[in-house]
Amino acid sequence: MPDAIAWVDEIAPEQAVGVCGAKMGRLAELLEAGVSLPKGFTVTVDAYQQHWDQAGLDEIVDAALGGLGPDTGPAELAAAAQAVRAELASRDISADLAALIGDAYEELSSRCFEINVPTAVRSSAIGEDSGTASFAGIFDTYLGVSGPDRVLDAVRQCWASLFNARAVAYRLRAGTHHRDMPMAVGVIELIHARASGVAFSAHPVTGKSDRIVIETSWGWGEAVVQGLVTPDHVEVGKADGRILRYRVAAKNVVSNFDYAIGRVVETAMPARLVDRRVLDDEQIAAVVDAVLAIERHYGYPVDVEWVLDRHRREGEPVCVVQARPVTVTAPAAAAPTEWNPAAMAAKYVFGT
Amino acid sequence: MATVIPVDEFITDEWYPGFKPAYTHAPWYIDPVQTFRKEDEENFWFLDFHWPRGLTPMGLIWNEDGYNWSSQLAAEQMPLPPGRGITCRLGGTHTYGSALPVNDPREIGQRARRLERSLPPFLQNFDSIWGDLREEVNESWDYFRGVDLSALSLEDLRENLIQARQYHKRAFEIHFQVMYPLLANYVGFYSMCTELGLDPGQIGKFLQGYDTKIMETDRELWKLTSAARAAGLESVFAANEADRIRGALAAHGGAASTWLTTFDDFLQVYGWRTEGSCDIGLPSWIEDPTPALGTIKTFLLKDTDHDFEAARNAAVEEREAAVDAAKSTLTLEEQKLFDGGLASCRAANFPWWQDDHNYYIDLRISLPMRWACQAIADRIGAGHQDDTLYLFWEEIMDVSAGRRPYDAGLRSLVEQRKQYFDYWLQRRPSLPKVVGTIPESVNDPILIEIFGLNSHFLRAVEAVSSGGQVKTLTGVPASKGTGRGIARVLHNADELHRLSPGEVLVCESTSPNWTPAFAKIAACVCDGGGTLSHAAIVGREYGVPTVTAVGLATMVIADGDEVEVNGTTGTVTVLKRAVLQQAGAGQG
Repeated sequence: MPDAIAWVDEIAPEQAVGVCGAKMGRLAELLEAGVSLPKGFTVTVDAYQQHWDQAGLDEIVDAALGGLGPDTGPAELAAAAQAVRAELASRDISADLAALIGDAYEELSSRCFEINVPTAVRSSAIGEDSGTASFAGIFDTYLGVSGPDRVLDAVRQCWASLFNARAVAYRLRAGTHHRDMPMAVGVIELIHARASGVAFSAHPVTGKSDRIVIETSWGWGEAVVQGLVTPDHVEVGKADGRILRYRVAAKNVVSNFDYAIGRVVETAMPARLVDRRVLDDEQIAAVVDAVLAIERHYGYPVDVEWVLDRHRREGEPVCVVQARPVTVTAPAAAAPTEWNPAAMAAKYVFGT
Repeated sequence: MATVIPVDEFITDEWYPGFKPAYTHAPWYIDPVQTFRKEDEENFWFLDFHWPRGLTPMGLIWNEDGYNWSSQLAAEQMPLPPGRGITCRLGGTHTYGSALPVNDPREIGQRARRLERSLPPFLQNFDSIWGDLREEVNESWDYFRGVDLSALSLEDLRENLIQARQYHKRAFEIHFQVMYPLLANYVGFYSMCTELGLDPGQIGKFLQGYDTKIMETDRELWKLTSAARAAGLESVFAANEADRIRGALAAHGGAASTWLTTFDDFLQVYGWRTEGSCDIGLPSWIEDPTPALGTIKTFLLKDTDHDFEAARNAAVEEREAAVDAAKSTLTLEEQKLFDGGLASCRAANFPWWQDDHNYYIDLRISLPMRWACQAIADRIGAGHQDDTLYLFWEEIMDVSAGRRPYDAGLRSLVEQRKQYFDYWLQRRPSLPKVVGTIPESVNDPILIEIFGLNSHFLRAVEAVSSGGQVKTLTGVPASKGTGRGIARVLHNADELHRLSPGEVLVCESTSPNWTPAFAKIAACVCDGGGTLSHAAIVGREYGVPTVTAVGLATMVIADGDEVEVNGTTGTVTVLKRAVLQQAGAGQG
């Protein structure tokens, strides 16, 4: 099974999304943008397909979900989805594949100069970030997974999350099939985050492409991404890198790594950090550099998840853990570029 | 369901006694001045703050030549895409205004394209355009100042009055022809700034700190105050009501006589102005210096002189700091837009022009007509020289042409009309601020900025119309800071002497003659106005916390209430009711 594992820094960028799924594929593409990425590998789409072809996934799924339709009630749907996942969890990963994943994990630990390095294990399905269907946040991610057995288990959980109730309901409504979105799984080093956040290369609400908007909090990005904490809000002018506004938020929750249980968990923010500004000017500039490089690479506005490593020194780049095209609610096209009194009066005074 | 406030109380067959037409005689451009009809309820009317006393029959000239000729003409000429200017209806002697809409989308589009061509050259050439027009106004002003009315025959006086009215009409054509484009540009800039995320409370500062003729007058009044203090005349001012100060000073002799000479010199330069906007019923300071003397009297109550230089420098510094702070939050692309708009609004500066044109037009343009009317009154043997102000235009034309005698019938009508005027003067404080159908929004820039008819005002009117106790009011944050004090609810400038230092001025709206009060008040609250109304501009110049467009402040706040005004957030809170304070004292 030579194609079961694909390293982030080894896969050919033009093949990355097809082999590694949306999330991990895009991450591998970023290598060409010249940004700093975490070390890691993907358990590929091929591995998923070969494994489940052998394990008879279709029979399991057809048996549990065959009778469902777009009008199935939520309780029935949840029960059916649960049945699929239970069945999948009971099927062992083949010894060959398990060994390949175990070897890759050992190699990753070695590349990170660690033993049993903590990792982020992320679902990366084909088509999950496509323009028409966003599965953002539906599939599982496990933060802080260490040790080959736990990694293997997390990979299986990610596969199973293809059949969580929301994903099943979504596919039923959209009339698509699970075979259209095979699930790769990424295993990447867990960056020890001093702070992290998201950054948009266009304003996510107004669509203005003249600025970079950053939202950030202390620790790992989960609390920000899941909306558990109100993050600091920063806007930076794209043309000159000037900080336009920095709104410090009261950040009451933090995602932190619990060494005892080996997971990233949400806890109360330490009092001294609640109202403290997260990013200094130099760190903001580093985030901006990464976002601009990615936008240049893709040629359209992007939405980037990034982490500030605890061991990062001034002048070093931030670590990019995810990037995708930004979904904007308003087009930026019609914005005027010169003062035109009649046009302004028409727009703002006369409503014509 | 839209909120409708009935107009029934204003519908009448018998208007000013002896005058019953549905509308007045003068030509109009789109819609004439009329008394209210029931169908007017379908439109939205606001009580105009410019004439808190009401208008005499001759005062109606303003409605005819101002709103219903000049504003409508200007709105067609510029043009305003969705509006044809302002029209008015008469509620007794009081004026309710309304915007005249354009409804046809094709026509609105065509007017918008015409505006695209006409607005930029006007703004770019504003300096020379306004310079020429002001010169035209001043040339005629000098002419009318130079006429010796006592040497004219009644027939020539009549001709002089006709000419004075033509001058008045032309001045208001100029007034609206300049005001509409300036305001359209400013409101566009203001709205763009808001959309760029700038603090609305800061935007007004970008255009402040430029000297105006009105400020020059205030500065001279303060010099006279210092001179009075130096001459030891405080006690004379303190011991007499404003209308008796002149006599008291003359009787006092010595230093007081010297001071009066200086004061008269001041009047010869700055005294050719009335105590309110465009009302033939108002005397100039030359005719009656009581307002100027009353102002000096209140200035003397303050321990220190107002430092104009310091205030002006602070205004300039604040302006530059506000611009820098705003620009620091804008991207380079946005800065380009902002800089373009700011340069345009500075070259054609509406707040500055507000004061400048008030000095040259609103506060004195009715005086030549007043002089002619008074001279005619003398010549026909009227009991009082103001009696002719209670005649309608046709009547004074007939009388001065010798076609109709000024007989017992007309004299009796004049007396009845004075009573009618007084009756409606008493009713003014309780008149509805708006009548008719409250709209979703208003899009005439004069109505938005000068009268404060923004969406907030409209919603406030709806809220109070549906009943309910109100303790906190909100409006436009026009001048920052917080002030607290006893509220003085004033209905016209004649009451300004009731204000003591540290009190809060609550009024429908202010005009330039209210300016001196800002040197002593703790805060100001206005029913109407926007960021550019007189109170907003002067509030910022004087550093007085000011909230405008509160909607119903003069109805909700009672004289003597203790209130707190937050000019930064635009809120006004009634802390203690005057009535309750007294009742509470009784109950222990």
